[in-house]
Amino acid sequence: MKPVVSYPTLIGEVDLDVLSVAIDGQDLHYSRVSKPERTVALHEVDRAHWESARLTLNATVPVRELDEGAWTNVSCLAVVTEKVTNARTTAVLTRGSHGTWLGSVDLCHARHVRRASLSLTVVAEIDGVGGRVIGGTEQAWFIDLTASKPVRQRDVDIVEEDFRDGPLAWLEAFKESAWIVDTSAEIPRVYLNTTAVEGLVELLNASAGSGEEKLLREMAASQIAQDAWTAMFHSAVSNLDKDEDGTPLLPGGWRDSVLRTMLPDVIPDRQLTDALYEIERQRSDGVGWSEIQTRIQYAAGRRSRLARTLTAAVRSVHQSEVRSPQ
Amino acid sequence: MTAPNRYGRWLGANLQQAGMSQAQLAIALGLTRAAVSAWIAGRAEPREELKERIVNILEAELPQADDRSAIALADRNLQWHHRPAHTDGGREYGNAAAFAFNADLSVLAREATQNSIDERLDHNAPVGVHYTLHELTNEHLESFLSAIQWGDLSPHLESAARAEQKVSRSLRAALNELAERQSLVLLRIDDFNASGLNGPEYENGNFAAVVRRQLDSHKQSVSRAGGSYGLGKATLWATSKYGLVLINSTLSEPHDGHTERRVIGRLDLPWHEVEETAYAGPAWFGTLETDPEREGVSRSWWATEQMVRDLHLDRSKAAPGTSFLIVGAHDASGDAETLQEMHDKLVRSLADAFWAAMVGGKAAAPLLDAHVTTLRNHEIVVSEQRVDPHQHHPALSRALRAYLDDDTVETLTAADQVAHATVPLVVTPRKGKGSGRSKGALHDCVLLVTPAADNATTANRVICMRGNRMTIAEHRPREIPLGTPPFQAVLLAGYATGREGTEVAEAEAFLRASEPPEHDKWDRTEELTSSYEKGALTRLKEFRSSIDKTVRGVVGQRDLERNRGPKVLRELLKLDNPRVSRPPIVQGAPSVHHLQGRVDDTGAWSVTVTVKAPESEDPWLLTPIAKFDVRSGGRPTVRWTDLTAVEGCRVDGENIRIEAGVRQAIFVGITDPATHPVKGRFARILVEVPKARGGAE
Repeated sequence: MKPVVSYPTLIGEVDLDVLSVAIDGQDLHYSRVSKPERTVALHEVDRAHWESARLTLNATVPVRELDEGAWTNVSCLAVVTEKVTNARTTAVLTRGSHGTWLGSVDLCHARHVRRASLSLTVVAEIDGVGGRVIGGTEQAWFIDLTASKPVRQRDVDIVEEDFRDGPLAWLEAFKESAWIVDTSAEIPRVYLNTTAVEGLVELLNASAGSGEEKLLREMAASQIAQDAWTAMFHSAVSNLDKDEDGTPLLPGGWRDSVLRTMLPDVIPDRQLTDALYEIERQRSDGVGWSEIQTRIQYAAGRRSRLARTLTAAVRSVHQSEVRSPQ
Repeated sequence: MTAPNRYGRWLGANLQQAGMSQAQLAIALGLTRAAVSAWIAGRAEPREELKERIVNILEAELPQADDRSAIALADRNLQWHHRPAHTDGGREYGNAAAFAFNADLSVLAREATQNSIDERLDHNAPVGVHYTLHELTNEHLESFLSAIQWGDLSPHLESAARAEQKVSRSLRAALNELAERQSLVLLRIDDFNASGLNGPEYENGNFAAVVRRQLDSHKQSVSRAGGSYGLGKATLWATSKYGLVLINSTLSEPHDGHTERRVIGRLDLPWHEVEETAYAGPAWFGTLETDPEREGVSRSWWATEQMVRDLHLDRSKAAPGTSFLIVGAHDASGDAETLQEMHDKLVRSLADAFWAAMVGGKAAAPLLDAHVTTLRNHEIVVSEQRVDPHQHHPALSRALRAYLDDDTVETLTAADQVAHATVPLVVTPRKGKGSGRSKGALHDCVLLVTPAADNATTANRVICMRGNRMTIAEHRPREIPLGTPPFQAVLLAGYATGREGTEVAEAEAFLRASEPPEHDKWDRTEELTSSYEKGALTRLKEFRSSIDKTVRGVVGQRDLERNRGPKVLRELLKLDNPRVSRPPIVQGAPSVHHLQGRVDDTGAWSVTVTVKAPESEDPWLLTPIAKFDVRSGGRPTVRWTDLTAVEGCRVDGENIRIEAGVRQAIFVGITDPATHPVKGRFARILVEVPKARGGAE
């Protein structure tokens, strides 16, 4: 739901396009910019220590609506934000022809961690009050600092590692686990142990194989996914910001995505923030918290398709029994 | 002696007018019939004193220096000449060349305009092409039909329509429609700065190729021309429901001392009989031929300005070129029925087929400039519209213009840039000309790649062109990595590169030889295998794969993808973007669907809230909460002074009660300005409707 203001705002569409990107003055290949995905990928393997990225922008605003409306002193601002660091950079664009606005915005590497949002805000004077927001882009661009391909869709990091003798010493404590899930990082990460269960990682990575291999592969993947979704949910519902009346705010980033997908399965008859409030309440006073666990398991099970893979596995075992009755 | 044939034609016409034979005139003059015959055929001309005597005998006026009377006379002797049936009994039930095409306006626009481009006269200026749709009804229709002597044509059309063949059925339908609706659509195609229908009436030349012959591709600049089958002109006749096309040409090279208003009409009917005489089908509308060897034949004439106006053939500019008037034009594909639809289809087809030819650069003028206009009874229906390539194909046009202006880059770094790369084409030698050791000459084709426009229909494809920037194929490169941002590309080969030289000419000829009559791909053809050394097909295959490779080099990125874990697991751990994957639906709980508000004089917010609720067996008890929106952090709550139910709900203290089964509720809330942390006018307000907390449910 969009908040309401006490003055007229734009109805027509506002569009923002990233024309080119330069890192420390050097142009990046345009394949790093995807207009359909509305994403820019800044990561380059051999240039990790850059300082600032400059994005050249072109915005289009509904020019007729603006001309006919009561707004004066219209200006367009490009805004780069990242929720995690609370960074916010703005740049004023200059008016071009036919409702286009041109300009650039600088993104300082030190102020961003993973994925910044770039949006356009149209500001004007109305009823004698200046600097009022009258419109903006519906969908923000993502400026991805850690990706080399401009893709909007994110997924969980999956890392194959030798827990016992590998480079990450802290993993040694889990050397007997086949996998662990770490949700403390900026993006959740699943570590697959290459040494605890011999052949498991190879099996997961294979794409062919016999029917049994395929079933085992899918079951193992479902198991891991079940653990990951459960851990991610717990991590997402903790430490939330709250409104004055105690309603938690959606956290942003991957946690936001996890809650949006899982909450309707955990507490079906409430809106997202209302459901978050309910979880927060039950967790703090303990009433109903154990029931919530069951719901979380159910929601994680749906994402990991555990029931489906199990059904296939059981059916397969049953059929092989029919074939060989001994 | 300015133009011998002019006198001969004048004499022939006036003999007919006077009802006198050549022999009678010879006797009157005391000369032999052969002498008279020689004058008429243009082999000789009488002395001045003889001319005066002839004028007296025939009671006619001598041809003036400007030839006005001879022209006026020619206008009076117009007739339809129907070719007699073949003496061997052969019958043609239609024009095979016309059947090679669909009578589709887009095919017509493509073929006719390609011919105009191929006949371009001044290579420093564009060919102007103007399409005019003109619907005639009532008296306008009648005066046009009488100008083309429709009355004399009718028996032939009616007879041809009675036969059983395909052509006859559609002709029948067209004649019925004309009778019922009393309306006729004319489509005139004018070109300017083109060579016009030069050459003699019957012998080799442009005129005869278009008017008298089938499958004759008589092109001036055949080396770079689009077609090589001479089929294109058949689309003009195929587009007419009656197979009737009138022609007016301004010649670039004088013929008989004339250049302006060479007019003739041609009708393509199937074999038919009228009053027990059989006719082969084709007929020509022109002045009666005076050459005794071609008795009864209609030839082109130099028409008066009045006559071309009556025939709807008047040309707006003096520049050389030809006007074709398609009588009873239609779009056989059925896509375009109304005038507006036909107009739009012409504009779209011209833009699609010739955007490249219409692009010009700073230094180079475009090859083509196209316009479409639509009229009804001389009144404008759709005013003249210039076909703008940058409007229809922005990215492709930009790519070509950047090449013409030499404004391309090697690697793309911005959305409006155009990358220029080279694709090698090895041209196989012609049979017997190969040196044995080399595979052939190397021709560097130009590949232009640019990020796709938002509305691109040809994204991720390479438009291949040669010659006068004629599109041959839309090549879809293989193995473009998934997730590559969409691009648009143009490949220029042969003369389309803008270069000259033997290697360019050879590449052009080689590629043309590899095209089927449709000119839509570069592949195996009979001409290719018969006139080129072995290996030509392999060279074409290599050419295609090097296009793919070059495209990948320009748009593709090195695959930097790190190890991202087993695919089977990755699939299960997708953090879907909620805005993409989940449309805003009514979930399991009531939510605010619409919010409308204003600040009143006391500074309080008055908001009208529309709530949508899902299907439920129990009533909903909700606590509306108003908050001022902030950029980050917790949002301050403001209190209500009043809640009023409007529809579908009941106010119950602080709560709103929606009865079971009610799907939509509306209420109005007024906030308490005393609880506003800032002035209401400066805040953004939002309203939530959580379930009542702690209250009895």
